[in-house]
Amino acid sequence: MNELALAWKALSAGWALPAAVAGVVWGIIGGALPGISPSIAMALLLPFTYGMDPVTAIVMLASVYVGAEYGGSIPAILIRTPGTNSAAATVLDGFEMNRQGRGGEALGISLMSGLVGGLFGLLVLVVATGPLARLALAFTPAAYCALGLLGLSVIAGLSEKSLLRGFIAALLGLMLATIGTDPVSGVARFTFGSPDLLEGIKPIIVMVGLFAVTELMVQATEPDWEKAGSGAAATRLKLPDLAVWRRIWKPQAIGAAIGTFEGVTPGGGGTIAAFLSYSEAKRWSKHPDEFGKGSVEGVAAPECANNVVTGTALVPLLSLGIPGSNSAAILLGALLIHGLTPGPMLFERNPEVVYGLYGGLFAANIAMLLIGLVILTPCLWLVNRPKPYLMAFVFALVVSGIYAIEQSLFHVGLVLGIGVLGYAMRMLGLPQLPLVLGVVLGFMVESNYRRAMVISGGDHAVFVQEPITLGLLLASLAIIVFSLRRELRAARTSEGTPNG
Amino acid sequence: MSRDLVCAAAALVLAGLYWREADAIPRSLLSDAVGAEGLPKLLAVTLAACAVLLAVRAVRRRDGGRLRAWREHARPLGVIALGAAYVGLAPLLGYAPALALLIAATIAYFGARAPMPIAATAILGAGALWLVFAKLLGVAMPAGALVRWLA
Repeated sequence: MNELALAWKALSAGWALPAAVAGVVWGIIGGALPGISPSIAMALLLPFTYGMDPVTAIVMLASVYVGAEYGGSIPAILIRTPGTNSAAATVLDGFEMNRQGRGGEALGISLMSGLVGGLFGLLVLVVATGPLARLALAFTPAAYCALGLLGLSVIAGLSEKSLLRGFIAALLGLMLATIGTDPVSGVARFTFGSPDLLEGIKPIIVMVGLFAVTELMVQATEPDWEKAGSGAAATRLKLPDLAVWRRIWKPQAIGAAIGTFEGVTPGGGGTIAAFLSYSEAKRWSKHPDEFGKGSVEGVAAPECANNVVTGTALVPLLSLGIPGSNSAAILLGALLIHGLTPGPMLFERNPEVVYGLYGGLFAANIAMLLIGLVILTPCLWLVNRPKPYLMAFVFALVVSGIYAIEQSLFHVGLVLGIGVLGYAMRMLGLPQLPLVLGVVLGFMVESNYRRAMVISGGDHAVFVQEPITLGLLLASLAIIVFSLRRELRAARTSEGTPNG
Repeated sequence: MSRDLVCAAAALVLAGLYWREADAIPRSLLSDAVGAEGLPKLLAVTLAACAVLLAVRAVRRRDGGRLRAWREHARPLGVIALGAAYVGLAPLLGYAPALALLIAATIAYFGARAPMPIAATAILGAGALWLVFAKLLGVAMPAGALVRWLA
């Protein structure tokens, strides 16, 4: 009850409730626009939250995440173009339903499944985060260092097909994190005499560069996306009736279970959850032959899963300080900008932020339902805007937002440079999330490692003598071995095929 | 040359340069046993090792992927050139005029041609963002040396 009171007080005291609504609106619009992912939509809004109080800022950004996961399904269903990666699974049956004149029904199922998923994900977040954070209070510096390494191993090993490429990306991120002032001795590292680099490169600079600027560069050679015709514009959303609910509750349950696991696992995310849920829902369905031909279950499962992730992806972030997805990384950046350190101490020092976030996510999901009922027409109008104008809008927001945060054109130039790095990584097949994690966790890994060495007098045995630390390191090793085996097996399979 | 080989070569060069710079980090009296250069050197060695492994794998499997032709990267890099031009012009012209030029140039770069809508969008867009950032949020955006001199 105390927690409920804290949540209500945090929400009602400031502008958190209106921020939740505004965040959902921006999220739905951003999610509906192909080329703007939830993380880009959040990154573009971040500078505007700079002057807000922490609860309002975090609620607004988390609400963008909630809204964007529904917003991505609108063009997926109406014009066969997913607005977000996680809506790609929705195209399979959603667009078929639209072709059969049932587009409004598909959008209604998407909206209600998103609501069910969002509320379920919030429940998991509330139940799981507290105990995990209390466990993390027992962590020593050596354990925190091992936790950071585990986070990096999971992301590098599980989120991409190649462990080596994942490691290289993570190493690049750790190298970026060493730029600035050494946390122990205060010596300048890799600043090349520039005073602007003494504070290091903030994670938000890296995230905006990698997510927004790199995407702008890629879009320069991509063709324009398909526009919504007059038929799509005339679509009216139709909420599911009892008969449809009887069909979709089971795929929603499957989506909820898979979304929970994928969301909590760093590197999992909405896209994997959506596709896994789709295939499992098909496997367990009484009407599997309907999948791909306009099945209501084929829309419900992925849409529920990707909205569950909006809550569960915050579990490792709030409890351990490790963002499990790009969007969670943006939230981490926002917490850092407001002087808050995510992890177990956030519960101790700033409980109003945590419980305010819980309340804000609840409000955001309800707002998503109400706004989703009326926002279809404006979304379609925006999707139909010419791409050059949207790209210019994004570019203008990037340069303005970064200057607003850093008050320095040097950092605007730095964002452009990171964008080039991100583009080069895409061309070379290097994943981006491990680099982001490397930047975010680099300080945590190094400072705790050196703290552990000071406490133990330089004795590395501390990493194997403490049970929690040893357990975390063994888990990292297990993930590396598992990823290596999976990669070797895949390589042998492709070598064995006639064309491989 | 395969994509993986290029990636491995780039990573190896980066590891070498990074090691060189790490070696040049001054030792401080406040340093601990690991030192400011400890982790950077470990990262450089690890990156070099990963680069070698990637190169070996690329040579053995001969499926390291293909790189795009260099000229295909000209358009994406042009986007960066637009941003760099904004960074150069903003201190001279000020935030709003430089931003209007960036918006107009970006719209044209991405393929729009009609001059009146481009100009209108650039002016209105820059004006709106100036109102939001400078007036509503109270952020001190670049003032512009030329504008100050004229004033």
